[in-house]
Amino acid sequence: MLETLLPILIFTALALAVIGAVRRIRLWRQGRPSRVNLLKGLVALPRRYLVDLHHVVGRDKMISNTHVATAGGFVAAAMLMILVHGLGIANPLLGGLLLLASASMFVGSLFVARRRINPPARLSKGPWMRLPKSLMAFSLGVFLITLPTVGLLPEGLLEGSGGWLLALVLAGVVAWGLGEMFFGMTWGGPMKHAFAGALHLAFHRRAERFSTKKGGTGRSTGLKALNLEDETAPLGVEKPADFTWNQLLGFDACVQCGRCEAVCPAFAAGQPLNPKKLIQDMVVGMAGGSDAAYAGSPYPGKPVGEHAGSPHGPIVALEGKTLVDAETLWSCTTCRACVEECPMMIEHVDAIVDMRRHLTLERGKTPNKGAEVLDNLIATDNPGGFDPGSRLNWAADLNLPLMADLKQVDVLLWLGDGAFDMRNQRTLRALVKVLRAAEVDFAVLGNEERDSGDVARRLGDEATFQSLAKRNIATLAKYRFLQIVTCDPHSFHVLSNEYGDFLQEGQGGPDFNANYKVRHHSTFIAELYDAGRLTFAPWKGGSVTYHDPCYLGRYNGEYEAPRRVLKALGIEVKEMERSGFRSRCCGGGGGAPITDIPGERRIPDMRMNDVKESGAELVAVGCPQCTAMLEGVVDASAKVRDIAELVADALVECPVGNASGESRRPAATTTAEEVIV
Amino acid sequence: MPHNANPLSKMELSVAVLVSVGRHPLTARARRADHDARAVEMALSLGNANVQLIHAGDNGAPSEEALRSYLGMGLGEISLIKQSLGADVLPALAAWLRDAAPHLVLTGTRAETGEGSGLVPYMLAEILGWPVISGLAQVESIEGGIATVLQALPRGKRRRLRIRLPAIATVDSSAPVARQNAFGPARRGEFATRTCASAIDELQAQWSEQPARKRPKRLKIVKSASARDRFKAAAAKADSGGGQLLSDVTPEQGAEAIFTLLKGEDVLG
Amino acid sequence: MSETIRRDPRREWIARNRLHPEHARVIAALGGNGGGAVAISEWLGPNGVVRRNPRAIGFIGPNGIKRIDRSGLQQGGQPTATTTAARDSRRTVVIDQPAFLVAVVPDMTGGRLSSHDKDLLGLARRVADADVERPGAVVAILFGEYKGEGGGELKEQALGEAGIDRVVHFDDEFYAGFAPEARLAALSAVEREMTPRCWLLPDSPLGGADLGRRLAVRLGERAATGVWQIEADNKAPMGWRCTARGGGGSLDIQRPLPRVALALAECAEPVDETRHAAEQLTLSASIPATLSRIEDLGQVAVDPAGVALAEAEFILSGGNGVKQWDAFHHAAKVLGATEGASRVAVDDGFMARDRQVGATGTWVTARVYMAVGISGAIQHLQGIQRCDKVVAINLDPGCDMVKRADLAVIGDAGNILAALVARIEQYREQQQEKRNAA
Repeated sequence: MLETLLPILIFTALALAVIGAVRRIRLWRQGRPSRVNLLKGLVALPRRYLVDLHHVVGRDKMISNTHVATAGGFVAAAMLMILVHGLGIANPLLGGLLLLASASMFVGSLFVARRRINPPARLSKGPWMRLPKSLMAFSLGVFLITLPTVGLLPEGLLEGSGGWLLALVLAGVVAWGLGEMFFGMTWGGPMKHAFAGALHLAFHRRAERFSTKKGGTGRSTGLKALNLEDETAPLGVEKPADFTWNQLLGFDACVQCGRCEAVCPAFAAGQPLNPKKLIQDMVVGMAGGSDAAYAGSPYPGKPVGEHAGSPHGPIVALEGKTLVDAETLWSCTTCRACVEECPMMIEHVDAIVDMRRHLTLERGKTPNKGAEVLDNLIATDNPGGFDPGSRLNWAADLNLPLMADLKQVDVLLWLGDGAFDMRNQRTLRALVKVLRAAEVDFAVLGNEERDSGDVARRLGDEATFQSLAKRNIATLAKYRFLQIVTCDPHSFHVLSNEYGDFLQEGQGGPDFNANYKVRHHSTFIAELYDAGRLTFAPWKGGSVTYHDPCYLGRYNGEYEAPRRVLKALGIEVKEMERSGFRSRCCGGGGGAPITDIPGERRIPDMRMNDVKESGAELVAVGCPQCTAMLEGVVDASAKVRDIAELVADALVECPVGNASGESRRPAATTTAEEVIV
Repeated sequence: MPHNANPLSKMELSVAVLVSVGRHPLTARARRADHDARAVEMALSLGNANVQLIHAGDNGAPSEEALRSYLGMGLGEISLIKQSLGADVLPALAAWLRDAAPHLVLTGTRAETGEGSGLVPYMLAEILGWPVISGLAQVESIEGGIATVLQALPRGKRRRLRIRLPAIATVDSSAPVARQNAFGPARRGEFATRTCASAIDELQAQWSEQPARKRPKRLKIVKSASARDRFKAAAAKADSGGGQLLSDVTPEQGAEAIFTLLKGEDVLG
Repeated sequence: MSETIRRDPRREWIARNRLHPEHARVIAALGGNGGGAVAISEWLGPNGVVRRNPRAIGFIGPNGIKRIDRSGLQQGGQPTATTTAARDSRRTVVIDQPAFLVAVVPDMTGGRLSSHDKDLLGLARRVADADVERPGAVVAILFGEYKGEGGGELKEQALGEAGIDRVVHFDDEFYAGFAPEARLAALSAVEREMTPRCWLLPDSPLGGADLGRRLAVRLGERAATGVWQIEADNKAPMGWRCTARGGGGSLDIQRPLPRVALALAECAEPVDETRHAAEQLTLSASIPATLSRIEDLGQVAVDPAGVALAEAEFILSGGNGVKQWDAFHHAAKVLGATEGASRVAVDDGFMARDRQVGATGTWVTARVYMAVGISGAIQHLQGIQRCDKVVAINLDPGCDMVKRADLAVIGDAGNILAALVARIEQYREQQQEKRNAA
């Protein structure tokens, strides 16, 4: 009885799964083409899954182990079941392995079930609530039907009228399991994540972000350039089909675990953004329909069920509502906390910037001060609309050496637009003092410097970004220097990670970093200290915590150098609960203070509250945006100081003879991971 | 004139906007002229009006870029009347307007480059025999060939005018801010170029131009009969940096001090 | 003034003889330019030695006792003495047979000459008086009602002291408000009848800027606009060259002065040394009625709070220290000020985002910026850099805003604002009474 029923069931499920897979693939292929090495991707898949993905999942040991048991058990059980029950190879060894696999899966599914009792708010409900039951049905069903195969049960049990009934029940349970696991995998059930997720890992748009056996950076954070030369190419993403096919595939990989939601600063501030919902909305748009079936937290202040879309309809409506409201997209601070946390390696920020590009470049709808800032960038090369000839006015008394005079130096000091801001001028002064104390051979571009284009790019104005980038590159190409040092992590990121796409022949080689390095000032100061070129007076102030700027930490992986500098100053950092790669954004990135989408709270207020909870009296920062945002908090419990300011205050004259003396060994190198944990 | 309750539904309002190449006050880069862009914004916000842009002048690469930024406000085409450098664009514009016969002509108060005298709208009005108004802040309604508009007065005040169409109206910085110039439409927009004989502006050719000098600040001249007063005025310290600080005063005393200052600055209308 | 001292023995003799019936008049003539009734204490004697009359020093105080103030500031007694002297120092100039006419059309904002008008009249005088032998006359064409100067002076006197020789006054009702067509018709009539050598108008938005361009176009003249300087030039047809602002304020255009010129404020020094006749003229021909295509429906009430921050002249800005926002809004209304806010007040939802002042909000250029309960974060202070006068009301005397302020009042914002509102309401009432009395 079962011998005839099971193969039919299994192969029907498999056939349906294949049909579903073809259907799903056609959905993805609505997207624009994107060149991916398919074979290489598939070969790299196991490593990407086992190493990179598990690095993220492994941050929660319980879930990690649960997933290993359940997913591992399922993959093994499914394979073996096809052999044993589908093809009828009743080998006791295979049967035994199948029993083991399904048992492991069952144990895993028990943990899954446990997590679904009083699940945290970030988890989606709906179909996901039935998943543990389906897992149990599959594993238990397979376990039971395999028992007779290995001879652990008398053969005759399933015979006779009672046996018939039992067999039917078992077949039903297995059918349920197969339905969820095979059919649901490609037709859109919770298990879709396994199918789409695996392919997403293989065909990921940023193959560079995965580690390789040789090491590899494992980091790819620069935005992808738009091709503006091609006038037929769409400017950004208007409709779901404007995403590349592998981006659409990526959206389908979402497991709705809500880790992104839990770390999103905009969501926490009550702004209308939830990264998880955004990805799900893209899935809805890709297939067409309404978001009514979504069973997770909504965008704050926006009820579920009012938005709907289609693959070839606009994502953001010209009037009324379609898939997503514009203010959702403009709430993002591009802090990458969601991307950092996502176990499925989905690139939320890329998608958001792609959609912003359409709003800015095609519709001219950058909200609030956005249009003004972009106009200023076009007309004056700085977002504030200041006279570009006054970029160096703050340093009139400092007599800064100019690149135009020297042509060749060791260090090019990139000032950034903070040169126009009175608060940041204090930081710059401090940094100049430090560089002079360490007798660094440096110069500035002065009035030749332009905005790096960071804000323009995050606001979606790729055209202005590229114009600024190309002109900056041309200016840099005129001079010779070993490295660029800047106290602005945004300039740092753009210079080192995003200018590479626009280099022409003879402008720094194929790799922008080939001729010179770009350094954040904390990194550079740490190196100067290690080389024995700076001497500090012991720290006399109170307790200090450190706020990791997103564009330094998550974007560029520099968690360690600022802490090393603080340690050298004699400061023991009181870490905040969210620090290192989990640092909470100050709210100043991605043009968020410019687009200024209202929420219930302010992001910097929440961050200063984190500082308060750490008990520190001073928060050290390394970014002009963070300084401005955090200092803007009223009645704050802690002072805000840039690392450069702390260093400048602690400087003491080098004892004679030590100036060129033996270099200090790095004071107990700690790895980033250690610091973070 | 037949009084029509709702002519807009029957007859499409046609609006022509004269646009020029602007100049950024700090960097002197070519851009869309601020007032002209506001005029375009006003035309676009008239609802279902048929908006045409006209530019007359020479058309180098930077000025084409600047003109495209009007297209970036969401218009498909700009009519470009090619004129040689230093030409008087008035005859060409007048001929164009006579042909096109729009109901309303909008333009900025004055150009940001060249003579920038703001005379062109008035001259066009004289040639065409149309009424002209300045400082248009808002078009309230257009009915039966008559437009009811608000004119901007200083300090945010407004005056309601009724003006018979066709008419010319100039727009200054009290009009709503122009919408954003989007890259896509600006790149796609087209120039409908026509050539027109250039009339050389001979008068202007005789003038000499130089970068604006800073105007001397008028000194407060104390004309007093007494040498003592004049000496005191000359020797008086310039406004000292530190302000006056009143602490431990009653609210009334504080209010009196503030009142005196406000009255001295003449801001109590 | 002639440098040789001419002696008049008879006058000297009268001056010495205090009993002579003409003694007082002669003394007065010697001491000052027609001091009249006032006794003169000092005069130049016949040998060039200063003579003093000790009895004439001082003044009779309010109690009938003679007072001598040796500080040099003679006060009391005749309080109008100094002003009379200043007024009397003006030379009266009458030009009976002008060689030519310079027509000026002042704005007459609010029914009186604005400072821009007076500057322009100064410019007109320069043009008219260029040739001492053959002076021209300045004819002013006035529209609408004349309301007199601050103290309600005589119209002829105020106009004459501004340098006007002739006045053509059109005060019919249809010239009031915005009536460019009617005014243009009147100016055309003046042109036909008097044919002034040149026309000068203030280049002020909605005033002379509008009317002047209309006039220039009607007369077929290429007007010079934005004129801020003129200098004599024999080669130019009018004998003058002018410097005009062009190209959006980025260019100075040098050109011969045309017949119609629109001048900026401070284009010349206002007249203050001469007094002119301000003689009334009327046109002999009547002005043809024009068909008006522009109709003025009157002013529309606008909420001062709605004025864009960047344009506002007077801003009342509230911050974290403001506790009663209703009272704040009321104060802004009474003061007639545009409302602004610090970032904190906006974040807390008390004010709209477009009201935020500062580096991240709007950069303002107000003449008076009044910061209530704003401590003065650096971003905020950057945004008010270009304000002329800053008034701070704050509890904390050490905050940065107080340091920046030209006037800082330390105390509770609510109480001070309430007192200020009361003071201004009182002032407004007084003004009203004065107006009613006048």
